[in-house]
Amino acid sequence: MRMLCVFEKSERVRHIGHLDIMRTVGRALRRTGLPLSYSKGFSPHVLLTFASALSVGAVGRRELMDVTLDEDVTPEAFLAALNAALPPEMQASEARPLPEKHPALMAMVQGAEYELRLMDAEAADAFRAALPGFLAQAEIITPRKTKSGVKDCDIRPLIHRLSMEGDALVATLALTERESCKPDMLLTALSAFAGIDVPRALVIRRRLLGLSEDGTLVPLETL
Amino acid sequence: MDDMNARIERMLEQVQKAPRYTGGEMNAVHKDWDSVRLHYGFCFPDTYEIGMSHLGLKILYGLVNEEADSLCERFFMPWTDMMALMEEEDIPLFSIESRRPMRDFDMIGFTLQYEMSYTNILMMLKLGRVHLLSAERERDEPIVVAGGPCAFNPEPLADFIDAFMIGDGEEVTLEVTRTIADWKASGEPRIECLRHLARIGGVYVPALYDVTYHEDGTVAAVTPNDPAAPERVLRCIVTDLDSAYYPLTMPVPYTEVVFDRIMLEIMRGCTRGCRFCQAGMLYRPVRERSLPRLLEIAQKLEDATGYEEMSLSSLSSGDYSCLPDLIRALLKQFKGRHVSVSLPSLRLDSVLKESLEETQQERKTSLTFAPEAGTQRLRDVINKGVTEGDLMEKVRDAFSGGWSGVKLYFMIGLPTETDADLDGIVDLAQKVSRAYFEVPKGQRAKGLRITVSASSFVPKPVTPFQWEPQDTQEELKRKQRYLRDRLKNVKGVVFNYHTPELSFLEACVSRADRRFGKVLMRAHELGCMLDGWSDIFSFEKWLQAFADCGLDPLWYACRRRGEDEVMPWEHIDSGITRSFLRREYEKSLREETTRDCRKGCNACGLNRLKGVCAIADALRV
Ligand code: SF4
Repeated sequence: MRMLCVFEKSERVRHIGHLDIMRTVGRALRRTGLPLSYSKGFSPHVLLTFASALSVGAVGRRELMDVTLDEDVTPEAFLAALNAALPPEMQASEARPLPEKHPALMAMVQGAEYELRLMDAEAADAFRAALPGFLAQAEIITPRKTKSGVKDCDIRPLIHRLSMEGDALVATLALTERESCKPDMLLTALSAFAGIDVPRALVIRRRLLGLSEDGTLVPLETL
Repeated sequence: MDDMNARIERMLEQVQKAPRYTGGEMNAVHKDWDSVRLHYGFCFPDTYEIGMSHLGLKILYGLVNEEADSLCERFFMPWTDMMALMEEEDIPLFSIESRRPMRDFDMIGFTLQYEMSYTNILMMLKLGRVHLLSAERERDEPIVVAGGPCAFNPEPLADFIDAFMIGDGEEVTLEVTRTIADWKASGEPRIECLRHLARIGGVYVPALYDVTYHEDGTVAAVTPNDPAAPERVLRCIVTDLDSAYYPLTMPVPYTEVVFDRIMLEIMRGCTRGCRFCQAGMLYRPVRERSLPRLLEIAQKLEDATGYEEMSLSSLSSGDYSCLPDLIRALLKQFKGRHVSVSLPSLRLDSVLKESLEETQQERKTSLTFAPEAGTQRLRDVINKGVTEGDLMEKVRDAFSGGWSGVKLYFMIGLPTETDADLDGIVDLAQKVSRAYFEVPKGQRAKGLRITVSASSFVPKPVTPFQWEPQDTQEELKRKQRYLRDRLKNVKGVVFNYHTPELSFLEACVSRADRRFGKVLMRAHELGCMLDGWSDIFSFEKWLQAFADCGLDPLWYACRRRGEDEVMPWEHIDSGITRSFLRREYEKSLREETTRDCRKGCNACGLNRLKGVCAIADALRV
């Protein structure tokens, strides 16, 4: 069976890279004693996939993974076993069985909601003032780092929602295999528009989003 | 505290490898600070990746944390980028678990695994704002202790360490923590703590001893200056490993560290008596963990860590009395759990073909052999009981069994070595290469790779070669060139060697006396640290430190000690007698071998002590 599971990557472990998080979850699963499925082949590994890699330095409140098991397990039993095995900094909050035919989570991700906690109140004020003008632009050309170098791209169509909540910038940004707007690109563009240096911000990915039948973005785990 | 945390967070955003400092690993222990009376800061004087690969850390971490009234947190040597930020932000060295500064701990313990980590100890103390010199520490500063194999010559660190624990740490550590906790509560001055510690068996408090020297610079005597200090400090020996503490859980790092797996210490000590090997002397006698206890530990650790790999750890795992049974039982126990079992220090004359085949079931690792010397003559000198026939048989088995990678470890600069012995290395590599090509093409694995490593021999204290000079650097470099030029022509060989500068310093430090403390201090002031990292290591600064202190490094590294010369560490009783070491030394010069202890006691000195060595005890009856 397949189990969808929501877990947190908290502040303390935010500097851990994606591969290391995967290995840690893999080991935690091995500690649970749950009937895990393994890949075939020379060095078998636990069948485990993540909806989306979270960058080094970012916190993830509701990250998603998909675990394959050889036997059926109740979501409650799964959660209890997994949480006992995960470090306190990476606890799971929900689990739900997935139909076997359910598409890969990775292919369903369309966007993500971020909270960018600004460490500097002046920058927050500058952003607050700049926001309406920033969003009114027809295009927002920003440098994007790619493997082949830095390219300019228009991030305006990739910003679905953007507002301030206290001293935090809250943004819903496109995140697909084809195109996405990373939080640092948004920060760079907005800082340039507001005429300030890029401020320090704690990046928190609040949730991953997918496309519902009526075409709106909804939390991926509800699909 | 909160302000400090905010600054630490800011630093972590800027450093190269933040996970070195952030902790929060699976099985890390976070105890309430105020709930215990003793706070122990365990310091590994190297980076997180190296420290977290070390079994001793995990043993002590578990041991102290399992005590209800104590806690243990970890400290590692920060990398240079972190150090610069700490200075900028005015942050003292803080523990991994609770991010408390070093000064807040009651006790700081360094593990001494290799001499070239000593500058890191000074740096860590400095970053932790603890006075470097034992004599300058105030009452509220932590008591600084150290243990580990290098503690058998504590003298180079005597100025900096308050107390050394000599030998096996499982029992003495708790005696020391209790003593320090009691003293803390007592209100007595610091010197009283040192006196209490000196009364514990196996604890050496250097401040309570005076060293006198002859005119030629050699040590005249090391004598106690306080009634609390014993004449000689006998090392701690845990006689029964089954009842000794072993952790059944251990922190699992997020990032990959050097040895990222379950380590199962199957036995301690080695009966072979290789004459260059310090560990082989210091960890005598051989003590085994029983098979049922090992299976229990292995199961608990697998349950607790989720590791997918396990290695058997000891000086000579092939000598474990029921190794095939152990491997078979482990493979059976973990069948379907996808745990691979690897044998790291494979002794070529004892590993059974059968167990080799069994380990292949899971994963194939490259095979390692350590003939150490190229000719039988020199192997007899160093008492390495391995013959070319043995080696070639194992190599042929490996090649026809599907291996294509073989690592061969040698030392150069061994006592009595000549160019004929170097030719022997080349010859052996050639034979190994030929053995590969003798396996028919379709049957052998592709990509022959023979890694020949030649390290520079360092004479160590408490070994039969403690009297021997090290080869000069020029000579070692010539030998390296000699080998390089000849190994070039052997098919499939990759030759590994390092500049001998680090080995030269290691030779200076390992047999140094107390005066060397000044050199260490000067090297620290000149910026020496992370000496094990070739991109940071500065040989010139070290030479300057020696010069500034008026000491000659050649006198320490490349001088033959006189037969009757008092060694700077001889007030530490390792259990091994000087007369045994001398006897072994003289035999080596006659190219005579000494039998493996299991074939009969060789009277190393432990036979004087009842109930320590089972082999010697059996003879006594
Ligand atoms: S006492 Fe005898 S048998 Fe025991 S370790 Fe020493 S030499 Fe070997």
